[in-house]
Amino acid sequence: MKKVEVTLKNVCNVIREFYKLKEHQFLTLNGVAIDEKTIEIQWIFSHYAKVDKIVVFYVEVTEDELIPSIVDLIPSAIISQRELVDMFGVKVQDSESGLYLDEDSMKKPLSLGCAL
Amino acid sequence: MSKKTINIPLGSQHISLLEPIRFKFVCENEKILEVDSDVGFVHRGVERACTTKFKYDAIPYVVARICGLCAITHSLSYTMAIESLLGANVSKRANYLRVLMVELDRIHSHMLCLSHVCENTGYEAMFMKIMGDREPVMDLQELISGNRIQFDYVSIGGVNRDIDPEIARKIKQTLKELRPKIQDLITEFQNNWSLSLRFKGIGALSMQKAYEFNAIGPLARAAGIKTDVRSESSELPYNELGFELITKEGGDIYARNMVRLYEILNSISMCENIVDGMPEGAIITKLKGKPSGEVISRLEAPRGELMYYVKGHGKAMLDRVRIKTPTFSSIPAFMDIFIGQEYADAPAILASFDPCMSCTAK
Repeated sequence: MKKVEVTLKNVCNVIREFYKLKEHQFLTLNGVAIDEKTIEIQWIFSHYAKVDKIVVFYVEVTEDELIPSIVDLIPSAIISQRELVDMFGVKVQDSESGLYLDEDSMKKPLSLGCAL
Repeated sequence: MSKKTINIPLGSQHISLLEPIRFKFVCENEKILEVDSDVGFVHRGVERACTTKFKYDAIPYVVARICGLCAITHSLSYTMAIESLLGANVSKRANYLRVLMVELDRIHSHMLCLSHVCENTGYEAMFMKIMGDREPVMDLQELISGNRIQFDYVSIGGVNRDIDPEIARKIKQTLKELRPKIQDLITEFQNNWSLSLRFKGIGALSMQKAYEFNAIGPLARAAGIKTDVRSESSELPYNELGFELITKEGGDIYARNMVRLYEILNSISMCENIVDGMPEGAIITKLKGKPSGEVISRLEAPRGELMYYVKGHGKAMLDRVRIKTPTFSSIPAFMDIFIGQEYADAPAILASFDPCMSCTAK
């Protein structure tokens, strides 16, 4: 897989330039906890009909930073964005919590700051 | 005359979908105007457990419990990711046996979906016939792995059980008997009015919409998109086993049924090719070291692409296991398909999606 570092400011433009509707498939949005405050956010794409072609755009964020939404470009990304909000407690533009977890559930279970 | 709308819930437990997902339809008369969904009824925290409770070599058996139907694809996808991080060279025989189990799993999973489509059409007799024809495939899985479902067949480095000539003979015999039954089903689904005319144009996803919603699996292929991880990943030897990418046009329930039926025939052919061309060699290779680095592994599960992202740092406990299941990523497309449809068609449309909530609520 090929990893491309982006910033919160340019991620939407970078993905908009990269993404071709009938060539690329958006696989998912992923979060990887780096430490108790920092999370690596990954936008993962594959290529239709090309073997083993995976491209990952990534940026490190803290919980209080707002992650831009790519839903205007890729409508199906909304479900991954909402999952990320629930699982890591991050803020993603136009993505509310409560998809997976209820109000009385454990908060941000995949962040390193969450103890069971 | 003023227009009135009514809210009709479907689920979380519904006679047409015995799984914990709830759709809320806003309808005008019988027409669906808006859809909302709730998928979070039984979230089990498997991703968290994989990095806090279990060492990396136990996880194939943990993720196999995510879903009874898709156990083999979960454990295999994870295992391939770990093998990639360890730089492992799995034997060709082990890979052939893995594909054999994945394709048998696809056959019985597709048959389950087709039977549910019949059930939701009120065609109970066909539902029971397909379920009956599916049983011998489950028996084969038990013969090979020891379990009908949730089999712990895959291990890091290979598989846990080999097949002998008697099992190979049984596999070929069962598949030989199954093939004409599937061909009869194709005729039935093409010609029976309850299954053909009834479903043409119903629950359709156009090719353009399928691209926009990143549709995967039979949902995408029924809309004409040529996408299948079996042709987009080199991790398993599909290119030497007779894999054919099946696509149809129309994107409706009928097309999805046809894609599944023809994929069953292709899976039968691949299983026969595997048994005929089974290479000699060990079924498992002992591996050393601990996984370090990050990797993405993909596999075509019966419902579409299953993706695992795994990150380790040379210790027994992993840093991250991300599981992207096919049903979860298809939910936005599901919701779009419902809009404009008749509520009376909703159960059949839903069955044709073949949703797996065990995977979704991982």
